[in-house]
Amino acid sequence: MHIPDNYLSPATCAVMGAAMVPVWTKSVKKVKDEIPKVKIPLLGVGAAFSFLLMMFNIPLPGGSTGHAVGGTLLAILLGPYAACISVTVALLLQALMFNDGGILAFGANCFNMAFVLPFLGYFIYKFIKDRVITEKGEYIGIALGSYAGINVAALCAAIEFGIQPLLFKDSAGWPLYCPYSLSISIPAMTIPHLLVAGVVEAVFTVAIVTYIKKVSPGTIYEGAKQKTKAIYGLIAALICLTPLGLLATGTAWGEWGTDEIKESVFGGNVLGFVPKGMSDGIKFDAIMPDYAISGLPDIAGYLLSAAAGVAILIILFKIISSFKKDKVGSKIG
Amino acid sequence: MDNSREKIIDMPQWLLQTENYIPQADKDTFVNKSILSLLKVIARIKTQDSGKQAKLLVNVHLKVAFTFMLIILLSLTRSFLFVIIINVYLIVILSFMEAENIIKILKISIGMAFFTFVVMLPAVLWGNSYSCIMITTKIFASITAVGILSHTTKWSLITSTLKRFFIPDIFILVLDIAIKYIVMLGDFTLNMLYSLKLRSVGKNKSKYTSLSGIAGTMFLKSKEMAEDMYYAMECRGFTGEYHIYSKLKFKIADYIYILINVGIFLIFLYFGRK
Repeated sequence: MHIPDNYLSPATCAVMGAAMVPVWTKSVKKVKDEIPKVKIPLLGVGAAFSFLLMMFNIPLPGGSTGHAVGGTLLAILLGPYAACISVTVALLLQALMFNDGGILAFGANCFNMAFVLPFLGYFIYKFIKDRVITEKGEYIGIALGSYAGINVAALCAAIEFGIQPLLFKDSAGWPLYCPYSLSISIPAMTIPHLLVAGVVEAVFTVAIVTYIKKVSPGTIYEGAKQKTKAIYGLIAALICLTPLGLLATGTAWGEWGTDEIKESVFGGNVLGFVPKGMSDGIKFDAIMPDYAISGLPDIAGYLLSAAAGVAILIILFKIISSFKKDKVGSKIG
Repeated sequence: MDNSREKIIDMPQWLLQTENYIPQADKDTFVNKSILSLLKVIARIKTQDSGKQAKLLVNVHLKVAFTFMLIILLSLTRSFLFVIIINVYLIVILSFMEAENIIKILKISIGMAFFTFVVMLPAVLWGNSYSCIMITTKIFASITAVGILSHTTKWSLITSTLKRFFIPDIFILVLDIAIKYIVMLGDFTLNMLYSLKLRSVGKNKSKYTSLSGIAGTMFLKSKEMAEDMYYAMECRGFTGEYHIYSKLKFKIADYIYILINVGIFLIFLYFGRK
């Protein structure tokens, strides 16, 4: 998920870097307030820990191996703010020393892996943990949190890739940076994460937290209860952000159907033919069906389906948690 | 003397039997791979901080600042000519370095460039050869530039540069600790992985669970280390604040370096903005 330089435009990198500044400031402040001075070195050692965690190879079915990112794990162990700083430093080391991830793209990489991943993962974990009080509930929280964290981070990376051809073109209409638009970048990034990396991350996180709980209970970060409210804000923000996908008006570059591509215009010349690879190739559009509801303007359709999706998720969680509570009660009674 | 005779007789039967135990083959690629990647990281950091590596005789602050400038220009430019000029310039610098370092740098930059090329291939099939060539060459150049920087500079010096660029102390402290503790925690973890390997004779079914145990122990150990470190800091009166004592002083090599980079900027203004 480490984005190298030149895949993203400098403007995108600047925006992502600017977006990270308040996050970093808030994290430093929060860590200074929350963590006693004795534990400040823990941030550094935590960064070393997160760096080494990425070196662990976990066997995958089929004989190959993969590695976890461990962002959610760090957030559960150290708290999300400390995790943000630790992962940032680990990413900086990777960019400068191992050329893993770009220098300009550092802000974007931090946004995905040091902000979205640990915070989302942690809040989902906390959300479920506070509602489902059983031990199983906590493990479900850990698994879902880490799974969702890494997948949403991958989705963010995909969106960053995908908006490049929409926003940055030269005079002839060719994309200057990553040439693949959202309809390709999103499935290309999210499918492997949904199927493989997310599962690895979830299994690894649950296994380690279980181990630490068994060996040394009480070392795990206990966040304040009121923080869980933040997830509602986060969900609301995500709903508001969904129309971002409609940023580009008209059919986006690379998103033509095969019938449209004939008429598409390149620097004044009508293309006039269908590239062979396209008419024969896999149709990516089928994987991501348009989220538009007929008879509604596109933005409204997007918002509506986002709201419905979130509502369904919340309902599901509520049902699961009420179910769990009943079980606990029946055991006591 | 009689005693020893008796002992031989007393020896249990099973000890005298020849055994033909062949341990079952077990897969431990993931342990081996983890060991290798840990070793790689530790070796890389250790060479970085040893004084042996080739030094470019240029001020570190300039080097970091101009490498950053180069990467921005590379990213901004739309001219293939400019990218080629930069590539040639970087290859010339590379040619002055030691063979060992050249191999290390090129391995990553060629690998990444090739990966990019493969990723961009479908775009070529659509008739967009521009991004394939441009992005591949740009990636090669920027990764080589960072490689040259990181292979010719000590980490402690880069930290001092960060301080000059007004990065908050807490980040520098965290970075400093992280670099040192990657090596220490890494050594510790390596030993655990070795013992896991040595102690699993034949088929070891709980190997996968052991891996999470190793990672968990690593976390607990890191907590302990952090506490010890705080007391060490306290004893030595270190509060986590950094001060720079050396003043910026330029040598002839620095002026030449500045001139070259101004030249690059002018080339960018002339060709690069097309």
